[in-house]
Amino acid sequence: MTNGVNRESFAARIWRKTLDGVGVKVGFAWIGLLVFAAVFSPFLANSMPLLMSKDGVISAPVLKYLSVEDVWVLANFFLVLIVYRLRIAVGKRVLLFLLGSVLIAVLANLFIKPPALVIYDDFRTAAYTEVDWRIMPPIPYAPTDYLRDMVSKGLEAPFATQGHTHLMGTEENGADVLSRMLHACRIALSIGLIASGIALFIGVIVGGLMGYFSGIVDMLGMRLVEIFEDIPTLFLLLTFVAFFGRSLYMMMVIIGVTGWSGYARFVRTEFLKLRKQDYVQAAVASGLPLTSILFRHMLPNGVAPLLVSVSFGIAGAILAEATLSFLGLGVVDAPSWGAMLDQAVKSSSFNWWMAVFPGGAIFMTVFAYNLIGEAFRDAIDPKLSGKGEGV
Amino acid sequence: MSLSLLEVRNLRTYLQSGGREVRAVDDVSFSIPKGDTFCLVGESGSGKSVSALSVIRLLPQGVASHPTGEILFNGQDLLKLDDPGIRAVRGSQIAMIFQEPMTSLNPVLTIGEQITEALQIHHPNMSDEEAQERTMLALEQVQIPQASGRFRDYPHQLSGGQRQRVMIAMALACEPQLLIADEPTTALDVTVQAEILRLMRKLQDDTGMSMLFITHDFGVVAQMAQWVGVMQQGKLVEVGPSSAVLHNPQHAYTKQLLAALPENLAKPVHLQTLRQLEQETESKPLLQIRDLKVWFPIKKGVFRHTVDYVRAVDDVSLDVPQGQIVALVGESGCGKTTLGRAVLQLEPPTSGSIQIDGQELIGLSARELRPLRRKMQIAFQDPQSSLNPRLLVETTLTEPMKVHGIGANHEERIELASVLLESVQLNRDFLWRYPHEFSGGQRQRIGLARALALNPEFIVCDEITSALDVSVQAEILQLLLNIRQQRNLTLLFITHNIGVVEYLSDQTVVMYQGKIVERGKTAQVCGQPQHPYTQKLLSAVPRLVV
Repeated sequence: MTNGVNRESFAARIWRKTLDGVGVKVGFAWIGLLVFAAVFSPFLANSMPLLMSKDGVISAPVLKYLSVEDVWVLANFFLVLIVYRLRIAVGKRVLLFLLGSVLIAVLANLFIKPPALVIYDDFRTAAYTEVDWRIMPPIPYAPTDYLRDMVSKGLEAPFATQGHTHLMGTEENGADVLSRMLHACRIALSIGLIASGIALFIGVIVGGLMGYFSGIVDMLGMRLVEIFEDIPTLFLLLTFVAFFGRSLYMMMVIIGVTGWSGYARFVRTEFLKLRKQDYVQAAVASGLPLTSILFRHMLPNGVAPLLVSVSFGIAGAILAEATLSFLGLGVVDAPSWGAMLDQAVKSSSFNWWMAVFPGGAIFMTVFAYNLIGEAFRDAIDPKLSGKGEGV
Repeated sequence: MSLSLLEVRNLRTYLQSGGREVRAVDDVSFSIPKGDTFCLVGESGSGKSVSALSVIRLLPQGVASHPTGEILFNGQDLLKLDDPGIRAVRGSQIAMIFQEPMTSLNPVLTIGEQITEALQIHHPNMSDEEAQERTMLALEQVQIPQASGRFRDYPHQLSGGQRQRVMIAMALACEPQLLIADEPTTALDVTVQAEILRLMRKLQDDTGMSMLFITHDFGVVAQMAQWVGVMQQGKLVEVGPSSAVLHNPQHAYTKQLLAALPENLAKPVHLQTLRQLEQETESKPLLQIRDLKVWFPIKKGVFRHTVDYVRAVDDVSLDVPQGQIVALVGESGCGKTTLGRAVLQLEPPTSGSIQIDGQELIGLSARELRPLRRKMQIAFQDPQSSLNPRLLVETTLTEPMKVHGIGANHEERIELASVLLESVQLNRDFLWRYPHEFSGGQRQRIGLARALALNPEFIVCDEITSALDVSVQAEILQLLLNIRQQRNLTLLFITHNIGVVEYLSDQTVVMYQGKIVERGKTAQVCGQPQHPYTQKLLSAVPRLVV
């Protein structure tokens, strides 16, 4: 009958071809590591014990001090795992996840009330050290634990002092660099995903309408795209920070709102092309409703090249945040890789550990996303099928 | 055969593809005498193009290997030549022309520059004036009108046939001894094809060159070849003088291919009786088209005002009687596809009237049109793009049923869809597969099943067999006749293949430049064409009746 055909679906085939290469596997491994660190950072690097037994009473101080955000991120992580396992349509899965996520956010805000003030020095007093037994996190320092009770203050190179090890040294306030690196993963990942998500959402809708209806809609849409392409994102960010203060969410929104024009162009081109495809014409001839034609017959066939550019967009958003933090305009209290580089520059002496680790992390993350994007682009390119090695 | 110009002995060409080794050419031997034409015939994937590319060594080096074989050209083994050696042979002694005249010329150079360059590469001492003069001669030789004026034209300023002439001029400028032509007329209209073939025969007589001609069309073979080789899956199954192979084939595969030609297909007996019945009782028209115009505006200037129109379909009136197959014939660009799409309201008509079953279609909104869409469906030409690659066959078939309320629930619709697949002679398990798992012929069957899913009365078949191999085409045509018999379907069959028209249709309508120039019973139109264009079209068709 059919000779040499495989039974896997289109998506499975693309996925297999994307993963066909060493570089892309490294890229995914790195992103996976970041996700793990972002989700479990309170348990990986914290000043308080994970579990301890004092006078026969077992308690988990870490859980008591978990913030609303920590809980929300954790719960979302498990929600994704559960939803992924469900055998239902992709659209339903996304909807289920969004609903669940909102529900968790509401519940977490209602019920989780961590202590407003955390004094990390307390965890090194008798109340927490003179116990029957206790399990500490792998890195026993919180990111904002400035070790005020310790003898040495300020910058310390890795393994400089006896007694307490700092694998990546400490920064100028005395906080552990590795701990800050781990906790910064969350910002790095979320800014990339959320900013690109916003841009993708606007881009697909505007581009899809332009491509399907063409004519006057297309003309107006393209002018809008051109206007948004002229906005310099970094200067807009600077202006907003100057006027409205620093906020991570504002940054995400601005990067997203100014970054959709490229996606809109992609979707428009794809839809213009797909509109003439025979199977779309057949769908029209069968009298299918417009929503089915747009979202079932056109979008899934035009979305693959878009995802390629999304992976590059995520890398761009991470760089934008790092740049802003480096300029000293990023988030104040939460650690961020860009802000750490800024510290390295402002210091009077050259402290290599302050530059190498956050700089390396930014490089690796952007590199990983670019590798994934490139592998994905090669995978969906039918002209490259069966030729050469993957990325 | 001591006079052989090219002698291929035991040639094997293996291609590396994704870790697998494909035996594209497997132990092929043939020879081409001086001044003769050797045709390699076969279906797609049979290795005929790879054989030709092996001769001129144009296959990518890392991919192709030749475990055995000799290619003796004037007694010299081409496979043993090094790169500079083969370059000296390529172009000057062996030239090649390709199928696609659109892409085989460089769009940013004028045709004169391209031919001159080819000349000067092989004759480094030739002066610019002499090269230009010879270019002009070559263009005149391939009968390009006003050759001196066309010297500075870019490829996009020429028609497809003229581009192929330029390609031939470029190939022949260096006076090669052997011309390899890889499907040189497949992308061309049949009347243009006839001119190009006539030109190639004339040039061969003038220059005495040999030709290795690759084609899938036995009609072309009959016109061109002194020698024929039939290829199947990399093997040369039959080789010999063309009259012997075509009229007295020995190998089973050759016989099968010849029998699958539409002009040789046996018509089902019950169909003939049915036709006689119909001729006696004229059935009422199911589809009535009156003064239909589909014009596309040409917009120019800053304000994009309309300066003129492309009159794709111009004042067409047509009746399609109930239960009949009406063939719509014409060359590319004549408006036949636009007409088919306009009938289904896929292309908005400029003016006119289209009535199906007495109901007017033009002017209806999408909502009002939806119930009428059940009655009329379309099947497409290209098996690659006619099915949504992301959807299971099941979804493709059941979604329209659901929208139109056919079948009470999902299970019932799935059952209906499996019955549909069986009616197009496919396995009912194919419901749970994706389009890329099927061959071209299978996809066309699925496309037919989709058109049948709504139980329509009328189907537009837009060149549904022209992308298929001749044996697959024969199967689809027979299937189509069976289905129309069972369901009393009315078909508008759009095609450029006259053989298919004669086999299939009851009535024939000939279109030329947006207008209908001739219509009537198929036997009448094809037997005694009245209009000069129809006569030209029919005489240009290469036929091979066994």
